[in-house]
Amino acid sequence: MRPSSAWLRNHTYLVPLVLLVVAVALNYYFQPNFFQPRVLNGNLRVMLPLMVLAAGQALVIIAGGIDLSVGAMVSLVNVLLVTLVTRESGPPEVLLAVGAALLVGAAAGAVNGLCVAYLRLQPIVTTYATSFLFSGVALAVLPRPGGALPRALTTFYRSAPLGVPATAYGIALLLLLWVVLRRTRFVQYLYAVGGNAAAARASGVRVAFTRFLSYVTMGLFAALSAMMLTLSTGSGNSRLGDAMTLPSIVAVVLGGTRLAGGQGGVVGAVIGVAVLTIIRNLITFSNVPTWYQTLFDAVVILLALAGPGIVQLIRGRRA
Amino acid sequence: MPDRDPPASTPEPLLSARGIAKRYGAVRALEEASLSVRAGEVVALLGANGSGKSTLGKIITGITRPDAGTLTFDGAPLHLSEPAQARRRGITAVYQELSLVPDLSVAENVWLGHEPVRRGGIDRRTMKGRTAELLASFAGVFSVPVEPDTLVDSLPPSERQLVEVVKALAWRPRLLVLDEATASLDARQVDRLFELVRGWREGGMAVVFVSHRMNEIFRVADRAVVLRNGVTVGERRIGEVDEQELVQLMTGGGAVAAIALEGHDAPGAAAAPPGATEAPVVLELRRFASGVVAPLDLTLRQGELVGVGGLQGQGQSRLLLALFGAVPHQGEVRLEGAPVAFRNPRQALRAGVAYVPGDRNREGLLPVRPILENLQLPNWRRYGTPLRMERARRDAAAVVADLDVRLASLDEPVANLSGGNAQKVVIGKWLSRRPKLLLLDDPTKGVDVNAKAEFYRLLARLQAQGTTILFHSSDDAELLGLCQRVLVMQDGRVTATLEGDTLDQRHLVAAAMGAQGAGAA
Repeated sequence: MRPSSAWLRNHTYLVPLVLLVVAVALNYYFQPNFFQPRVLNGNLRVMLPLMVLAAGQALVIIAGGIDLSVGAMVSLVNVLLVTLVTRESGPPEVLLAVGAALLVGAAAGAVNGLCVAYLRLQPIVTTYATSFLFSGVALAVLPRPGGALPRALTTFYRSAPLGVPATAYGIALLLLLWVVLRRTRFVQYLYAVGGNAAAARASGVRVAFTRFLSYVTMGLFAALSAMMLTLSTGSGNSRLGDAMTLPSIVAVVLGGTRLAGGQGGVVGAVIGVAVLTIIRNLITFSNVPTWYQTLFDAVVILLALAGPGIVQLIRGRRA
Repeated sequence: MPDRDPPASTPEPLLSARGIAKRYGAVRALEEASLSVRAGEVVALLGANGSGKSTLGKIITGITRPDAGTLTFDGAPLHLSEPAQARRRGITAVYQELSLVPDLSVAENVWLGHEPVRRGGIDRRTMKGRTAELLASFAGVFSVPVEPDTLVDSLPPSERQLVEVVKALAWRPRLLVLDEATASLDARQVDRLFELVRGWREGGMAVVFVSHRMNEIFRVADRAVVLRNGVTVGERRIGEVDEQELVQLMTGGGAVAAIALEGHDAPGAAAAPPGATEAPVVLELRRFASGVVAPLDLTLRQGELVGVGGLQGQGQSRLLLALFGAVPHQGEVRLEGAPVAFRNPRQALRAGVAYVPGDRNREGLLPVRPILENLQLPNWRRYGTPLRMERARRDAAAVVADLDVRLASLDEPVANLSGGNAQKVVIGKWLSRRPKLLLLDDPTKGVDVNAKAEFYRLLARLQAQGTTILFHSSDDAELLGLCQRVLVMQDGRVTATLEGDTLDQRHLVAAAMGAQGAGAA
């Protein structure tokens, strides 16, 4: 096992990949039409926004932080989009809205980044607090659910160019983006800061700036996620993203990224979202109360947190 | 009080330790250590770096368990598995690294773990009253008011140290270990502490006094026990010995042990590159100070390997960190003639200064990350965007081969490497940058003999390339064998600069302990 363990460590998504195969097999057992394009597309449409969000969350967690405001950021960008765009909007308005969405996402991330990296506030508390700030602004922008997108856009999101669902292209683009990002200094520094901030500093890495950027990047990913989600629902709701925060973290953990930072990756997080979504399906099919879903999320996080401790406990006993 | 030779002590000693041995992995801290202390006696425990005196202190107080040997206390065998047990038996210690909780009050700290209880609750009145009584013994020498309710966080180091003493006294010890307890005290406080020590001695308390200040040993101790390389090599009554004799005991008769440093043909001055004095000046310090480090002047020339020695924790690390911009400093720094003032390590790195920390895992490595990323962390800038990974990997492989790091693959987490190999990675990341000035902070601590030898070869190579090295080591043999010049620090002050004839262990130990007339200026 020795030589393969290093390899496994650098390919942390292999374990979640096995989980995914098991989950898909189970889902197929309960739902034989799982692989029919219509069903598959429906699943992918649900998954994509969360995948984008979990990708951003993975970057923050790799750098040793965490962001509990991601759901609120998604809500904020969602209401912004439906306020700037109507069913009759043309390409210029849409482009403007996309630009504004990215700007607001980055700005929200910058607020978190400033607090955590430069004011040195605790990430959990800070982002929990800012989530209320972002939710409040979202509610002010769109007090009641509503709004609509040009039909062409929502239709495109459901379409399947060249026989492949548009959302599948989205996932491919997301993974491609990661492949590119992985080869930047920025991502190298994320791993370094999360792996050992003191050593990173002693090696000349700008630790605070790297942390700050990780939250700004998270904001951009949240904006992208909100765009996908808005395409999927076609309307706005100031609470739309709220329920995505916990799943975004659970997915990252399921994907093999350790919450202590310095390890993991986006590929695992994307697979984690797929596993999580399918498990939700399974819970629906098996006619058990939906609160089991929450229970499942909680158990995953608890195990992820306790895992290293439990391993140490067992090893300590033996020694 | 018996007047005969100490080895034949007549009354039963309160504490007796015999044949104590302790290993940490491959490092032998103690081999054959013995110590006995009678009630009403102050025994000074002396030794150079690595002699094992701290380990022996830790064994007596139950922090560390010995591998072999016997301990008896008050006539009964002593088996300690934790400090709390030692305290219950009447053995307490005052350490230099303070054990106080900053957010608690003085009284809460003093009684932590044995709070007076009444009717199921903590009896705060008694707690405060007894703390006030204990504090009274230092009345008049506090530099700031210290009350039972004072928050420890608000106290300066010297007052914290006194609170630490009070905390130990609250256990009403029969044997008290004072481990470098005077290091942060001012002269008046030391005087008062010694007065108290004499009082405790009259009252029958036994005191083990560990200090790096020779004059203090002569002021307060009755007897000195000397450790060398983990072995008790002798004990002397203080009235019948002088500083020179103690230094000789500590260093082994004054003769410098032949230090065979593999790959370094001749130790000391012979290894100096020809014409070193004409080489250009790389670093120049004028009245450079930082925290505990007292103002100092220093000139380093290209290719020089200059040692920083002395007992551990005398400000050597602080000096290096200040040069690296990691902590603030005062005074003038010139690097290759140009004045510089680094405010963070990044600026120092840009200017060609590199730093290898003593605590690899704290500041040197990203344990969970692959070796490749550890080696390239300061160098990614060179590989463009997107990073040319194949080139980065090739370069890393070259460094690894060059340093002979034994690894399975570059993708292996660095945590899998042995201490020596991990340390090579920490140095390897600077190697390709060819730093002008390399700061080494006790880099061979916990590294095995072979890895050390390889490390010395590496230093010689860097030196030949023109890198100037400032090398702090707690291993005296290393300093004497490798360096042409050694600064000795005590309490943040450079007490001696040894070179040429004075570059031997006797002078080093004497200067480190502040022995009179021993350190050549």
